[in-house]
Amino acid sequence: MRRGLAWVGALLLLGGCVSSRPIDEIQIIQQMGYDFENGRYTGTAVYPTFKQGPMTKPNMLTTTSPTIYDLIPRLSSKSALPIEEGQLRLILFGKEFARRGVTQITHSLARNNKVGSHLLLGVAEESAKELLKITAKTTLSDTLYLPNLVEQNEQSMNLPKTNLHLFLYRYFSPGSDPFLPYFEKKGDFVKLEGVALFRDDQYVGHVSLRDSFLMKILLGETKNGVYQLKVGNRGKQGEDRVMLQNLWAKPKYEWKRDGRRHVLDVFVHIHASVRDYPSWLDQPGGDLFADVKKKMQNELEHNMRRLFHYFQKKRIDPLGIGDFVRSVTRHWDSDAFYREYPDLDIRPHVTVDIVHTGIGE
Amino acid sequence: MKQAIQERFLISPFLVFFVIHATQVGVGALNFQRPLMKEAGQDAWMAVLMAGLAAHVLIWLMYRLLSHSPSGGDLVSLHEQYFGRWIGGVLSLGLLFYYALAAFMVLQSYIEIIKVWVFPLIGVWQFSLVFLLLTYYAVSGGFRVVVGLCVWGVVIPLLTIFPMVFFPLEYAQYRNLLPVFDHSFGQLAKASKEMVLQYLGFEMLLMYYPFLKNAPSSQKWAHAANAFTMFIYFVLILISVVFYNKEQIQHITWPTLTLAKIPEVPFIERMEYIVISIYVLVVVPIITLSVWAATRVVKQLFAVQQRRSLPVLLACLFVGTLFFQEKTDIEQLTQWTAKAGFYLVAVYVPLLYVYVWMAEKVKKALQQKP
Repeated sequence: MRRGLAWVGALLLLGGCVSSRPIDEIQIIQQMGYDFENGRYTGTAVYPTFKQGPMTKPNMLTTTSPTIYDLIPRLSSKSALPIEEGQLRLILFGKEFARRGVTQITHSLARNNKVGSHLLLGVAEESAKELLKITAKTTLSDTLYLPNLVEQNEQSMNLPKTNLHLFLYRYFSPGSDPFLPYFEKKGDFVKLEGVALFRDDQYVGHVSLRDSFLMKILLGETKNGVYQLKVGNRGKQGEDRVMLQNLWAKPKYEWKRDGRRHVLDVFVHIHASVRDYPSWLDQPGGDLFADVKKKMQNELEHNMRRLFHYFQKKRIDPLGIGDFVRSVTRHWDSDAFYREYPDLDIRPHVTVDIVHTGIGE
Repeated sequence: MKQAIQERFLISPFLVFFVIHATQVGVGALNFQRPLMKEAGQDAWMAVLMAGLAAHVLIWLMYRLLSHSPSGGDLVSLHEQYFGRWIGGVLSLGLLFYYALAAFMVLQSYIEIIKVWVFPLIGVWQFSLVFLLLTYYAVSGGFRVVVGLCVWGVVIPLLTIFPMVFFPLEYAQYRNLLPVFDHSFGQLAKASKEMVLQYLGFEMLLMYYPFLKNAPSSQKWAHAANAFTMFIYFVLILISVVFYNKEQIQHITWPTLTLAKIPEVPFIERMEYIVISIYVLVVVPIITLSVWAATRVVKQLFAVQQRRSLPVLLACLFVGTLFFQEKTDIEQLTQWTAKAGFYLVAVYVPLLYVYVWMAEKVKKALQQKP
């Protein structure tokens, strides 16, 4: 009897705890844009509206405010249904906004238990609002155009993996700086342009998608990515390039002392397949590939050196070199390391193994 | 008071494994990484092992104390035998307060988690009422029901929650573990002191020892339980070290729950809600066993039936939960419980053991003299 009463009581009480929110009675924000224009912040929210059946149509809400935290409440005042941020997939920062720092937003996201760790972040070349408007207009039913674009490029192309967790990890780590995908408006299309680089939480510059292949490898992501290399001086345009596809690559860092300076040796071993190559390389019996391999290695080394110099000049460390040095130094001092960082001697050594050249010969 | 407990109320020795493990792993497992990594950084796993070994020694000591005391009973009868009715009674009263505090702390911490993650708008009292009704149901069923709850409180979370913590290895940065031994012994000792609360739980043994069939033979199961607890914490801290960095983890209140944000399945986007729900099974055994132990103290001390003291104790806990609402208060409460538990198992029990040992020696010497 008593037992039964306890159960009934528990059921009644738990039944009262449910707070259900049917899907057509809320506004699920899937993408959010932040801009800074003329001293005011602009927030743009993209949400799907459900028509008949599985068809969804992306819609937009925009508002401006002198402060950042105020944006979601202000969006609410323009929306007939309550706004839910639990399905947020991508947050896009305008370049001006990113330049002023994104800490406020990312910290608030890190505290928000409704937002998942897989949330993607990105930087737009001009305004985030414009970019989101394009995706809302050009895609008929796909409200997740940008998130899918990023994920596709991370999985099969040159973009290194990024998301909220990785952003916060690199932001808080004393030995690395965060980076995000960088988008540009090309006519009526959105194009992934490369990787936006941050110093602490402020946007300081970006590198191209081609260079992000090198970043991806140097970060230790082993698979995928394509890279075009110049291997000769003959022929017409395109006749002297080879297209390299990374099958498996591994970087190895070595930190040592050379007199009064420190030297960082970076050994990169790439197992690649050559997807496209000029016809003159195809002479049977000749060992032209050995020569080409040498050229590829030289060019990769040259480009890596250029990339390192760029990072050093900007005093940023998106590759987490500081993190690596910390792991091999007792009582690592981050201030001392980054004082030395711009003059650090970083020496890339690349080995390329051409595993195959496709099914043709 | 000394009469033996009927056989049908006893439990098999191997069940001690579940009882001890269930009471050790609790709400602390969700956020122990933070203070630990603050002190010892990447070497935090050593602190986990150090604290675990210390717990082994204390369990061994507890068994020595309980099995060698001629009364063969629990701590309350031991107190009475060696300190007399009054001083012994006061000491036992302290034990009663400690068990009540432990139950209260676990209840309060878990309610806080539910409030922050799942139901932010709902009041504390609804939850505590439901939990305390459940506790009433289990404890009034007797010790064997409480043990049954402990068994499921180990098995189900182990099969459901534990595999989930391996998903974040996708983002593992193994170099975070290097360099090893970058912290002084002092820092490690300080960090292992932060682990006290996570290993506490075996002190309930002081009350349920007489309920074990062939009690001394259960010691190996108690050690196995502690070793398993050690293993769980060791895995959790290793994954946290490679997944977070030292700075980042200081900004995360429940690192284990944030780890559970990583696994993705098509039909449930966010696994941490599942983890929080299943965690009821981790939390309820601790609350019930502490409450059971507290009412057992009352019974041994004042000869009041457990059935009568149970509602009073639960009412006290319920009223208590109404007054603790703020996060800082709950943190303070956790600190107190950890401190009280530390003094109980690491200071009081060893001292008591030395005292009992000496008293026996003196008694023997006196008997031989004439």
